Amino acid sequence: MKLSTFHRIPVAVLVLILVHGCSTAPSQQHPTPVVEQGQPLSAQQPPQEPQAPGYAPAPASAVTAHRQVPAVIALLQQAEQQANAGDLESAAASLERAIRIDPRNPVLWYHLATLRLSQGEPAQAEQLANKSNSLAAGNHAQQSRNWLLIAQARRQLNDRSGAAAAEQRARELGAR
Amino acid sequence: MAKRRRRGRKKSRRKVVSRRPLLIRIALVLALMLAAYVTYLDFQVRHQFTGKRWSLPARVYARPLELYAGLELSAEQFVTELKALHYRPVVSPREPGQFSRNNNEFHLISRPFDFWDGQDASANVRLSFTGGKLATLTDAGGGKARSLLRLDPVLVGSFYPAHNEDRVLLQLDEVPISLTDALIVIEDRNFYSHHGVSPAAIARAVYANIRAGGVVQGGSTLTQQLVKNFFLSSERSLTRKINEAIMSLLLEWHYSKDEILEAYLNEVYLGQDGNRAIHGFGLASYFYFERPLAELDIAQYALLVGMVKGPSYYNPRRHPERAIARRNLVLDVMAQLELVTAEEAARAKASKPGVSDFQRKAINTFPAFLDLVRRQLRRDYQDEDITSEGLSIFTTLDPQVQWQLEGVLGSRLKGLERDRGLEANTLEGAAVVTSVQGGEVLALAGGRDPAFAGFNRALDAHRQVGSLLKPAVYLTALEQPQRYTLATLLDDSPLTFTARNGVVWEPGNYDKKNHGRVPLYRALAHSYNVSTARLGLELGIESIIKTLRRLGVEQKLNPYPSLVLGAVEMTPLQVTYLYQTFASGGFRTPLRAINAVLAADKTPLQRYPLSVQSAIDPAPDYLINTAMRFVVREGTARSIYQSLPELVDVAGKTGTTDDLRDSWFAGFTGDRLGVVWVGRDDNKSTGLTGSTGALRVWRDLFTQFNNSGWVQPAVEGIDYQWIEPASGLLADSSCPDAVQLPFIAGSEPVQYASCVNTNQALPDPVDWFKELFQ
Repeated sequence: MKLSTFHRIPVAVLVLILVHGCSTAPSQQHPTPVVEQGQPLSAQQPPQEPQAPGYAPAPASAVTAHRQVPAVIALLQQAEQQANAGDLESAAASLERAIRIDPRNPVLWYHLATLRLSQGEPAQAEQLANKSNSLAAGNHAQQSRNWLLIAQARRQLNDRSGAAAAEQRARELGAR
Repeated sequence: MAKRRRRGRKKSRRKVVSRRPLLIRIALVLALMLAAYVTYLDFQVRHQFTGKRWSLPARVYARPLELYAGLELSAEQFVTELKALHYRPVVSPREPGQFSRNNNEFHLISRPFDFWDGQDASANVRLSFTGGKLATLTDAGGGKARSLLRLDPVLVGSFYPAHNEDRVLLQLDEVPISLTDALIVIEDRNFYSHHGVSPAAIARAVYANIRAGGVVQGGSTLTQQLVKNFFLSSERSLTRKINEAIMSLLLEWHYSKDEILEAYLNEVYLGQDGNRAIHGFGLASYFYFERPLAELDIAQYALLVGMVKGPSYYNPRRHPERAIARRNLVLDVMAQLELVTAEEAARAKASKPGVSDFQRKAINTFPAFLDLVRRQLRRDYQDEDITSEGLSIFTTLDPQVQWQLEGVLGSRLKGLERDRGLEANTLEGAAVVTSVQGGEVLALAGGRDPAFAGFNRALDAHRQVGSLLKPAVYLTALEQPQRYTLATLLDDSPLTFTARNGVVWEPGNYDKKNHGRVPLYRALAHSYNVSTARLGLELGIESIIKTLRRLGVEQKLNPYPSLVLGAVEMTPLQVTYLYQTFASGGFRTPLRAINAVLAADKTPLQRYPLSVQSAIDPAPDYLINTAMRFVVREGTARSIYQSLPELVDVAGKTGTTDDLRDSWFAGFTGDRLGVVWVGRDDNKSTGLTGSTGALRVWRDLFTQFNNSGWVQPAVEGIDYQWIEPASGLLADSSCPDAVQLPFIAGSEPVQYASCVNTNQALPDPVDWFKELFQ
């Protein structure tokens, strides 16, 4: 069974990606270079763009999302193990548990998208990647990963020009 | 004479000759018939015993509680959950299903449980709570922090087959040995040596009964008892006795003692709960002690074994003294045969029976939610499968939210009737609560009486939605950023519209006033009908219908102008689906009440996965949600902040229909969406608007949730600008009444309002945001 990305990312990197997925953790760490689908990802992830708050500006602490990192990381690791063991549907169930705890974490939606792609559901994979994008404002590395995945999904759907356009988006975002 | 004699001899010889074949023939026929009959019984025995033995009701579970440090859950809520799971408070937990509490510190041993994605093992953990949160979760052994613990889920109901037999199936290795020991010595001491029937046992029973001066022992073997319950009717006749004996022998011939014992343990009748028959020790344990069999003690095993003889006569709830006397007799026999020590028996005899208070468990705890579960199951399963295949159904129900919802709905409706001098019990209500991103139905109320399993208003009450539909009109506009922004001024002056058929439409505002030119966000916030109607006509009814379709509205929509003011009937669940799309960032997310289904043998059957479908671009979705946040900040729903902290962003919309028949509120925070309807079943006026009725229920409910600050995060392609509402033009923070509004990049106004000193450079919004993060 070919897993698109899941089994290639060591847990330590997943954890880093996860932490980076936090819109409120403008951490200066950079993820170790990951080679994914033959596309080198930018190791130098730019600092997060500040988020525009809503109507009543609140202190930054109130904007905190992704607070339950250890529980979510544990589930992400579990999902990874299940996916590596070929049990993709259980892996998806674990990711859904993680999403229940941290529903706005784009990393989790992205991994759910990769699972769906591995399961031969490119249309749903693209939708889930869109969802991840919608939650990843300012996180260009994540957006770039999402667009690569969308490109793969579109290729599976025989949408070549759509795939090329998605790859172009991924490259632009990766270069930023 | 000779002739006669001869004839006589002939005669007699003929007699003998003819009589013998006849007897043989009869015997042969009888033997054949018997053989055929035994073969028939044999077929029955094997067919029924080998094939499916029992129809098992489906078990419906709530979502499992996931425990992790940081979880918003108070110690009291935790205790409520443990109570619903029948965890027992003890001084020092030693077995699964036990916990101890010292103020905000807990020690708990969880139960193992078969989930869809595998079995979770039992865990021995310590927990501490502070400030409405689970602060720490550690392993009791080494004290190491534990990242996550999934508790077993609360059983919220069952779907029973028509004959109402209920059981919890057990495998022999799951049954404690002391229980089977006790059962065998009391009911059938020679179980392991006889061949199905035991003449010795009958004799011994007669002797024992005479010595005891009453019936203390039955003569039937366990096999016979099983056959009686399993294959035969309850009539008392000789034929039945014979059948019983033959079938017992056959059963023993074909099957091992263990198989027979296992079947017996699951089949034995142990009580009655209304029209539900309690079968097997597995269910009896839950029914009498509210916990699994493995968690009972020796006294409780003895009590259950004692009941086999007469579940109604020895019913421990109705006749505790009889049940205790019988239990003690069982314990005496066990001590005599050295199955327990004399001390153990004495201690067990001195213990209280520990039978739980009588609760009618057959009545499903949350009938309205289970109704939704059943309807979703019917899409994939036959009714018969639902009630007889022993499915485990894992739902999305959050019992904490459900209890809160049931509490506030009942008390708020009562309060509204009292405060407004309405006749008692005339108001009805319905509500749905979902998770914003996942579309999981967390709670559902079908009426103000949560125990009532009848008309489910959340699913079946089709009512006019009124202004709840307005966000679809405004969204249609905001998706054209070159024409409309949140700052666009709409015309709220009187409107007369003559349709092609000559019908004149003159919509009016609820406050019976017109408001001149109002910015778009404010027209929605205050739910102005006239400006909305004019906007809708400008956009075209057809384009609004298209938007509604995209948002997931499926019912027939009449292309009349009144549609823009909500002249369409929807159920609370349909409204929830519509608002789910707004709330989840523009993604249509199927509302799910079920996560997964397991077969009786715990193998996964089906999962209902999370899926999304992009319906609105994130940027216009952000704009319409911003407008709905103004509904709460300054519009028709502003009373929400009387109870909720201002740090929590709430977006929502009130709905009121003609003559105040329906009162609606749909609103969401970062994690939950709630839709509430209040009205009367006879469709008469309630005297309530959306703000004075449904909104109050919603507010009561969401006030109970943990509301640490949450701000809707912005999406890409959005810029904030200061705007002067009266003119809809660019302003700065020094302008009186100026507000910050989001714009799809490039759509912001270019002109400055007169309040701005244009000689002075405007502060760059990005710098402003950077300040916030420093």
